[in-house]
Amino acid sequence: MAEEFSTDGMLDMYLFENEQLLEQLQDMVLEQKDADCFDEDSINEIFRTMHTIKGSSGIMMFDNITAISHKLEDVFYYLRESHPDNVPHVDLVEHVLTVEGFISDEMEKIRNGETPDGDPAEIIADLDRFLEQIKDGGVKEGEAPPPENVHVEPKQFYIAPVATSASRFYKIYIHFFPETEMANVHAYKTVYALKEIAEDLLYSPEDIISDAESSDIIIKEGFRILLQAQTTEEEVRKIIGIGYDIEKVDVFECKAEEFLQGFDFGDEEDGMPLIDLDSSVEDIEARAEQAQGGEAEGQTAPAKPAKPAKPAIAPGDFVIKSREPGKQKKLAKDKPKGEKASFIGVSVSKMDQLMELIGELVISESVVLQNPDLKVPGLNLDNFNKAAAQLAKISTDLQNVIMSMRMVPLTNTFQKMNRIVFDVSRKLGKDIEFVMVGEQTEVDKNIIEHISDPLMHLVRNAVDHGIETNEERLDEGKPDKGKITLSARTEAGKVWISVEDNGKGLDREKILQKAKKQGLLDESKPESAYTDKEVYQFITLPGFSTNEQITEYSGRGVGMDVVVQNIQAIGGTLDIESAQGLGTIMSLKIPLTLAIIDGIVMETGTSSFVMETGVIKEFVRVKEDMMIHEPNGEEYIMIRGECYPVLRLGKWYGLTHYCESVEEGVMLILEVEEKKICLLVDKLVGEQEIVVKPIPSYIKKVRGLSGCTQLGDGSIALILDAGGLVE
Amino acid sequence: MNEMSELKRLDDSQAASNEHDAQKGKYMTFKSGNEFFGLEIQYVNEIIQFQSITAIPETEDYIKGLINLRGKVIPVVDVRLRFKQEPFEYNDRTCIIVINVKSMLVGLIVEKIAEVVEIKEENILPPPTIGRADKSHHKYVYGIGKVGNSVKLLLDPDKLLNDDDLTVMEQANDMTLEEE
Repeated sequence: MAEEFSTDGMLDMYLFENEQLLEQLQDMVLEQKDADCFDEDSINEIFRTMHTIKGSSGIMMFDNITAISHKLEDVFYYLRESHPDNVPHVDLVEHVLTVEGFISDEMEKIRNGETPDGDPAEIIADLDRFLEQIKDGGVKEGEAPPPENVHVEPKQFYIAPVATSASRFYKIYIHFFPETEMANVHAYKTVYALKEIAEDLLYSPEDIISDAESSDIIIKEGFRILLQAQTTEEEVRKIIGIGYDIEKVDVFECKAEEFLQGFDFGDEEDGMPLIDLDSSVEDIEARAEQAQGGEAEGQTAPAKPAKPAKPAIAPGDFVIKSREPGKQKKLAKDKPKGEKASFIGVSVSKMDQLMELIGELVISESVVLQNPDLKVPGLNLDNFNKAAAQLAKISTDLQNVIMSMRMVPLTNTFQKMNRIVFDVSRKLGKDIEFVMVGEQTEVDKNIIEHISDPLMHLVRNAVDHGIETNEERLDEGKPDKGKITLSARTEAGKVWISVEDNGKGLDREKILQKAKKQGLLDESKPESAYTDKEVYQFITLPGFSTNEQITEYSGRGVGMDVVVQNIQAIGGTLDIESAQGLGTIMSLKIPLTLAIIDGIVMETGTSSFVMETGVIKEFVRVKEDMMIHEPNGEEYIMIRGECYPVLRLGKWYGLTHYCESVEEGVMLILEVEEKKICLLVDKLVGEQEIVVKPIPSYIKKVRGLSGCTQLGDGSIALILDAGGLVE
Repeated sequence: MNEMSELKRLDDSQAASNEHDAQKGKYMTFKSGNEFFGLEIQYVNEIIQFQSITAIPETEDYIKGLINLRGKVIPVVDVRLRFKQEPFEYNDRTCIIVINVKSMLVGLIVEKIAEVVEIKEENILPPPTIGRADKSHHKYVYGIGKVGNSVKLLLDPDKLLNDDDLTVMEQANDMTLEEE
């Protein structure tokens, strides 16, 4: 059916929305995985999430997703209705995550243009058993079994009421041609379109998503919509449109009072037991809320005579029912809804484009403001200067905003790790506590994309190899719970992310033995001469794994080398610290952003260079007598009792017209990974934020250059990579 | 040559290929040394005035460095040096032809831009395989176009830029993160 009408946009929307829902679901579940049970809000939220996914998947005809989400919805329906207190919480968490995983996998297939063909039968059977299990318990404790959650369960389509005086109310009838197939889907399309403008929206029959019968009703009796919106009638008509399957659309504008009565079109206002039964709801509540409350009450008044003209439709059949009128307000304030309203997805390429444009803007701004034409003597530039200052301020703000747009907190990435720890530790039967520190740390989006995989690997390793089994821990007298700490912080323009476990640590001897076997050791060097750091570096070599047993998660000897490669690709480093028997700390040091760095602009010869501010320890003017010349041409310099190797930038790159004398130039002391060198440049120009651009791929990689950037005057400066120079 | 444009057309969308049909058979010609060269016009993005170039250390001599093309950093190649001809002095009238090869922008510094000419397929001959000592031309020259009494050496821009060590270039491409 996906071919029957254009689903491209709908499919994207479906994937986008459901992905967000699943993400929220997972976060919420993991947040409470260590609690005894879910709190009521979460149960409601999971129920709602599953319900939404079920509904939209039904429309898109992804039957397996519909089926599985329906089953989980059943479970939570039971939990919500009868509050059983004997639920094995961890099992429940696992069930939810299994379902979440299944749906995610299927959605991934859909995204790749494949058919979602996963078979949910097994998971559904599991869920059935689980439901039986908790139901048995529930009944034993004397609670009445709740009614089975079949599809008649009322749906809520609640659009935040923001009734204003500008709001207008419409009654809309849509008649489909009798031969229309799946009129309910067409009806849903209309509803979907109207949601865009609606402040409040009711429709009948309600259950058009999952109830195939509704299609017949729609064809027979037409599809009714009550709409509260600020748009004119024409606009409403335009939104609904006249499709090939729609026979007729009637739009009537009506008064608010009529609107509140639901679909009871006509003049029988007196027949509606609206106001008197509504006394429990405060009068000051928003109109639409009143409408909902009122209708709910209407539904509970079965005595109300049905309209003679349309005897088949009692008002209660199609107005929106609310389970507990008192809950309405809460629903409106619901957190996810608020979040959704304040975020929109933007493609990264558009942001990159915007950033490029802003970069150009800044440059043209300086071209204008420093235009030589302004230097003509005798010009009165007061007003110009004022305007220029204003312009400069705005463009600076603009730059800051675009930069902050690229920054994303690590929260999501960390949550994923939480999930991995949970999954892997359960499968391996290890009891592990997972602690996250500093997950709010913000990192450039590009970087986040690149660290997710390496981090996942490190966390998996920590669970699998780092932490011992429960028995081993007991034997060693350690507190029985393993602990993995994932922490992030920013320091000196870098993000430090570390994965720390309190497991068995790295076995130096074992690694050395293995390295020896693979011929990695230097024969002439005694084993004891290797520092711990050097030994640990072996595990980052390809094909090196000390794990004898290959498990599902690790041990195949691919991994650490890939981790290191990925980290290095974004200019990061991996540090390993370990104490045998106490644990291991794997620290990643990653630049905050690939796009903008603080840099010192300097000149050597006729070229401009930029060096990242973070690595520069000091600028010094030196005297010739501080230099030490080796016969082989190498040079050193003594500064305050410390000896540094000297690199002359001009000589290194074979530039022309650079200062030969160290006394005229400036020495930069650079520190990279505890190695220090002195770099001699001609002069410093200043410090500025620079937008990093890659050197076009046509040019082969040059040692010591990591990119290029545009300076204020439009010329290009090369960015020096201190790491490359130090080597 | 047909093969090339065929390939090119496969790469591009329908709309773009219509445009290429209109451009087919047209060549941008320029002078370098004593010869005239021709580039299929679909590769030519634009022609810009000479501007200051930031040199890059440790590269081939014919790669003169980088220029800033409205915010885009593009490498520039001196065509004369590329052809192992004598270097020439740049002046205000020197032009840079910006070409787009496999969505990579590269500037070509040429001595003098001539004109755009139309060369029919039947007027394009394969380069002579014998009788010329200077084999180096054959790497980039895939045909010789006759226009009236003069001949233009038709260049394959891909080979022009990438020499023979194409694989090395591709590796370099992979290493450049932002290009992904």
